[in-house]
Amino acid sequence: MTVILILAALFALLLLRVPVAFALGGLGLALLIAGGFSPLMAPQAMLSTLDGFILLAVPLFLLMSNVLLKGGVGADLFAAVQAWVGHWPGGLAVATILSCAIFAAISGSSVATAATIGTVAIPEMIGRGYRKDFVYGLLAAGGTLGILIPPSIPMIVYGFITEESVIALFLAGIGPGLLLVVLFVVFAMLHARFLGGQEAVPAASWSERLRASRRALPSLALAALVIWGIYSGAFTPTEAAAIGFAASLAITGLVLRTLTWKAFRDAAMEAMMTTVAILLIIAGAKIFGKAITLYRIPQEISLFISQTIDTAGAFIVVVAIVLLVMGLVFEALSMVLIMTPVLLPAAMGLGFDPIWFGIFMVVMVECALITPPVGLNLYVIQAVARARMAEVARGVLPFLLLMLVTVGLLYAFPSIALYIPFHL
Amino acid sequence: MRAFAALTAAFAAVGAALFALAGAMLTYEVVARYFFTAPTIWAAELSQLCLIWGTLLAMAQVLARGRHIAVDAVAAQLPRPVRRLTETLAMAVIAGFAAITAAYGWTIFWDSFERGRTTGSMLDLPAWLAELPVPLGCAVLFVQALISMRDAWAGRWIEAGHGEGER
Repeated sequence: MTVILILAALFALLLLRVPVAFALGGLGLALLIAGGFSPLMAPQAMLSTLDGFILLAVPLFLLMSNVLLKGGVGADLFAAVQAWVGHWPGGLAVATILSCAIFAAISGSSVATAATIGTVAIPEMIGRGYRKDFVYGLLAAGGTLGILIPPSIPMIVYGFITEESVIALFLAGIGPGLLLVVLFVVFAMLHARFLGGQEAVPAASWSERLRASRRALPSLALAALVIWGIYSGAFTPTEAAAIGFAASLAITGLVLRTLTWKAFRDAAMEAMMTTVAILLIIAGAKIFGKAITLYRIPQEISLFISQTIDTAGAFIVVVAIVLLVMGLVFEALSMVLIMTPVLLPAAMGLGFDPIWFGIFMVVMVECALITPPVGLNLYVIQAVARARMAEVARGVLPFLLLMLVTVGLLYAFPSIALYIPFHL
Repeated sequence: MRAFAALTAAFAAVGAALFALAGAMLTYEVVARYFFTAPTIWAAELSQLCLIWGTLLAMAQVLARGRHIAVDAVAAQLPRPVRRLTETLAMAVIAGFAAITAAYGWTIFWDSFERGRTTGSMLDLPAWLAELPVPLGCAVLFVQALISMRDAWAGRWIEAGHGEGER
């Protein structure tokens, strides 16, 4: 009964538009006081959250993404990839997905990815006669690769709250990320072959290809540096974020000379606002998490799940449905923070690897990012393309199905995620 | 009131600058470690302080700009008079949380300050350096929440930009 009351109170606060951070923190604090526990835990939880070295990676990755976005590297990247694959059937769509994937490797954010590539790819594709809803869906979905291909802010947060290795999570995201890229590319080519009405793009000459590639080279080198650094253990994810930020400043400020002082200030303010919003939700979730643990809520839910659902497959189906439904109205990161502590004990009880479960959560969060009415990437594309929500929402449907196929494959073949971190 | 708005805006700018500074310190750390084989003892600890101070100082301005992430789908459907109540209530929840956390945060800070407790790390900084921004930031947030509460009651609130959070 307590479980239902507490969850009902939380959902009531959230739906009344109390900011997620304070709904979690406020309710947690109220529960501590009501249960006769010390409210000192609230400021302590806030402090211990902000004292986590790994979370320092959040503002730094955001700074890097925002600097690259303001510095306009999206155009160079897209031009380079387009020069190589633009003449394929559905070539611009393929170039869009590959550009998203490359930008995802330098950005931990799906919004930044969708915005960076969308700004250049949408007008180009629509100009060449691609169907609008397909273009919007492609960009909204392609943007979500930002959080599956490392670095990834949701993975940092998941690693922080579950005390799992962020590096292992990053590495585990590569396989499913590439799988999703392949599925998107194949779909885009089939769509262009059978449903498209787009003009073909002439193949670029070798000199054009080399010229475009040279301009995109710094961004590609940055992606390689970040991934290599984390993978080889040369630096921690937080240090990789710092290096990436410094390198993004060097690329846009010194090499490409596209970053103005005003653009840098805007990028820093934007990164700061997002960071504060994210970190306070984590702090709120920590207070709430402490309170519900004292009330033994996760244990009770875990017990309930293990008594009602006894197979791993059924568990994943139920969790996927719950997350999909939640994803209709919930913002993605809040979902990870609210559901992980509740679900992970039960998942581990059923034999799931916590790293695998983290990747599963991230793919489900990607779905949440593109399911209307509340899907952050839909808003981004709507804003970038000045499109109608209905068009964007219609366009994402096939991509959503492909993501669910990925979840199925991930369940059937866990090594898609776990091979790279544990066997390579 | 205008002075308070200027204060929170200044705090936010300081917050953004502190994050960038943290990036500079950690970059220096990696460069010093690999190129000069001379890792610092201060970069990790001071950059962490930047994160703590930056976040807590800036949170009031983030509220003022309506940038805290909230679930809008349901509230957006409510009729305006009801919205006025829910928006006011939402700000009251923040004010209550901020007031209590500021008060208890202050006792943690004061305790460390009086006893002269230190972090016990390499720099052995006073522990209150990291603890002070909790009551400070929450107190400023409390005042901002009261202002936003008054505005909400008067029918003025910021329609959310649907949070830029997750990313």
